[in-house]
Amino acid sequence: MDVFDNLAAGIMAVLTPGNMLLLLAGVMLGMIVGVMPGLGPSAGLAILLPLTFTMDPTGAVVMLAAVYYGAMYGGTITSVLINTPGESATVASTFDGYPLAKAGRAGPALVMAAVGSFVAGTVGAILISVAAPVTASVAATFGPPELFLVVVLGLLTLVVIIGGNRLLGALSALIGFAIATVGIDIGTGQQRYTFGSVELINGIDFIPVAIGLFGVGEILHTLWRGGHLEKLGYFNVSARSRGFWPNKKDYKESAGPIARGSLLGFFVGATPGAGATVASLMSYNLEKSVSRTPEKFGKGAMAGLAGPEAANNAASSGAMVPLLTLGIPGSASTAVLIGGFMMWGLQPGPLLMEQNPEFAWGLIASMYLGNVMLLLVNIFCIPAFASIARVPFRVLGPVIIVVCVLGTFTVNGSIIEVGIMLACGVLGFFMRRFGLNPAALVIALVLGPMAEESLRQTLIISGGSFDIFLERGTSQVLLAAMVVMLALPLAGKGIKKASSTAMARVGRKRRDDTDVDANAGEDREHDKVGSA
Amino acid sequence: MNRKWTAAAAAVSGMVLTLSACGGGADGTSAGGDYPSEDMDWTIAFGPGGGNDIMARTMVDILQKNDLYPENIVVENKEGGSGATGWGYLFGQSGTGYGISTTSGSFITTPLQADTGWEPTDFTPVGLMAADYALLMTAGDGEWSTYDEWVEYAKSKGTVAVGGIGTVNVDYIVQQMVADANGYKIDYVPYNEEGQMQTSLLSGAIDAMISNPGSIMGQIEGGQMNALLFTGPERLDALADVPTAEEEGISDIPSMPRGLILPPDAPEEAQQWWIDTMKEVVTTPEWQDYLDENYLLKDEKWGEDFTAYLDDTQSSFEEQLTELGAL
Repeated sequence: MDVFDNLAAGIMAVLTPGNMLLLLAGVMLGMIVGVMPGLGPSAGLAILLPLTFTMDPTGAVVMLAAVYYGAMYGGTITSVLINTPGESATVASTFDGYPLAKAGRAGPALVMAAVGSFVAGTVGAILISVAAPVTASVAATFGPPELFLVVVLGLLTLVVIIGGNRLLGALSALIGFAIATVGIDIGTGQQRYTFGSVELINGIDFIPVAIGLFGVGEILHTLWRGGHLEKLGYFNVSARSRGFWPNKKDYKESAGPIARGSLLGFFVGATPGAGATVASLMSYNLEKSVSRTPEKFGKGAMAGLAGPEAANNAASSGAMVPLLTLGIPGSASTAVLIGGFMMWGLQPGPLLMEQNPEFAWGLIASMYLGNVMLLLVNIFCIPAFASIARVPFRVLGPVIIVVCVLGTFTVNGSIIEVGIMLACGVLGFFMRRFGLNPAALVIALVLGPMAEESLRQTLIISGGSFDIFLERGTSQVLLAAMVVMLALPLAGKGIKKASSTAMARVGRKRRDDTDVDANAGEDREHDKVGSA
Repeated sequence: MNRKWTAAAAAVSGMVLTLSACGGGADGTSAGGDYPSEDMDWTIAFGPGGGNDIMARTMVDILQKNDLYPENIVVENKEGGSGATGWGYLFGQSGTGYGISTTSGSFITTPLQADTGWEPTDFTPVGLMAADYALLMTAGDGEWSTYDEWVEYAKSKGTVAVGGIGTVNVDYIVQQMVADANGYKIDYVPYNEEGQMQTSLLSGAIDAMISNPGSIMGQIEGGQMNALLFTGPERLDALADVPTAEEEGISDIPSMPRGLILPPDAPEEAQQWWIDTMKEVVTTPEWQDYLDENYLLKDEKWGEDFTAYLDDTQSSFEEQLTELGAL
């Protein structure tokens, strides 16, 4: 087939020793950048972009694709180990990744995330090769109404995250929405809550808030609990030990989430504006909905890490579709890339693939190879990263705070943002102390402005009528998806109820049997979850 | 802001791009005196890859290749506050001749929108080198592919939904001026990102939008979008069929300044050195290539003429945006 010839040619073009070195360097640089809290893929690309201006386009794009993936994965490492997402796309990875690390399973969590990313990246590269034109035509039907609905799908995650304590959860989300209103109002050009400060006219960025709430907040809370006095239950993380690699059950539990996350991520990633953050949150939401053991989510469910990780990685491949086929940047990272295209003398647009096939397919091939390289590098690096968990808290805590300050400052060189970060650290401590939900706040902060902007654009277009959501084809599909997503957990509850009654009936029949049988029944149920 | 900190952070992030120009003195450009004798601190008020960044790096590249600046030029992106941070930093270097920055549209609009503490006219002008003009765009599959067809459609519909970047921006002014000239009404939909606006147009959510030739030429060539009207003084070679606003009877559409500024109260010697040097830069083939690739029109105004231009442009912006209720 033509696409496979093209892909093979692309891979051949990329497989030169020089390019492989660039790929390796890119992955390593990306990971280093990504491990800094606050610096995610888009910041990594922006920082390293000027270095590529003198390279040939293929070499440059090989390196940048590697940086992109490396940084994405680097963000996962901090999310899992120190509960600090490097960018909004890895917020969902903290929900179950950090509990896993706390339970001494940092190694399996990081390996599973790398495997999930690798599979998703591969699926993404294949989907780009075969489904780019179709996906692009779908992406081109996305106007403000559709974007709004996708963001609302992401916001549904709030329901899942908030869980039991509705009042405090809703309060947390409202604080997030409130922080999101700071800055210039896109609709009227007026300033909101900036108090005349120039630094605030672009709003309060998600990064300092997330670093403060998660990173610093967690440290303060651990101190308050007396965590620095506790003797660490050392766990061995060397690559040879059995506990380092994911076990069979982990793989089984993650297979479904990775597959679903890859597909979901790719298509959500292809829609301009929504991207990896919404994809990862939707994936988390979906996995909890379909899981037979939703109560494990948030307490260290492998599925809750593998799904979002696969989704955010597939989304970054998906974001390449509008970039390559329509010349439209769908995310912050691809917007930086498009700047790069122009510096390398390429004209972004629908003709890019036709006019520069070796470049476009080289990019796709380098995404594929970047994932392979990432997996290889990580097999060697994860033991080192995971050993962070062995460092006593009285040493690790201060180091994390320094890294948080440095990371925040590096993004924009703004001391005000460092102040915001530290203030959010204190806020994060009190939120934990009083049972509020920092994750809900951050999700509201990231998605709130997108929801507001797209809804206002929609209503300007429709003259204030909500009928516009029912008139446009893609909107109708999205509304239907939303209904399904809302109905799934309810249906799931029904199924669970039915199955537990059935189990109870079996149990009654076997009342005379031993307890061992009952345990066996439970094990079977776990297996079903994995293969679901 | 503490400079040491900035430098340290920049080194950590690898953002510093040090370019050593190893030429022999300033003999090519005889401004006299001992300027320049120090490294140049070149601020880009936006992130890498954007229009302002590309222009600045092109200039630095030309200065370096032709050994025009005898010392090092240290380029640093200082984004934030729609340019307020970067230009604020330059404003803080008042009195020296060793800070420099490139300007773009936000140089005019950001001070209108927020209390930045500086005005465009506060800075020491080097010059305007090019101006950014806009295109009125529609989707390629629409029933209207020319300006006349568009006007007819818009008039028959009465009110059309049109897009642009931001509210306090030239895009809004252009849309309103075209509508006023033809007697139709607009619902102006402001966007934050070019990408979202483009898909919005393709999806049929909005009827028309404003864009710059540099960022949209690929879509036009691919037949995905139509260019209807160009706001520049003469037609673009690449779009010879697209009429200018002037030809359609709409005059005085503002443009966006692409120029170069020094800190306030920079020494006269430094200002003169840069004016002389940039006059040389704009004659290089590399500069012409940059203008061609980005579809910018040559528009040169040096020294005080540039300040006067900034002053005029800003007051006409303020007047028009106030009229529209955006300010």
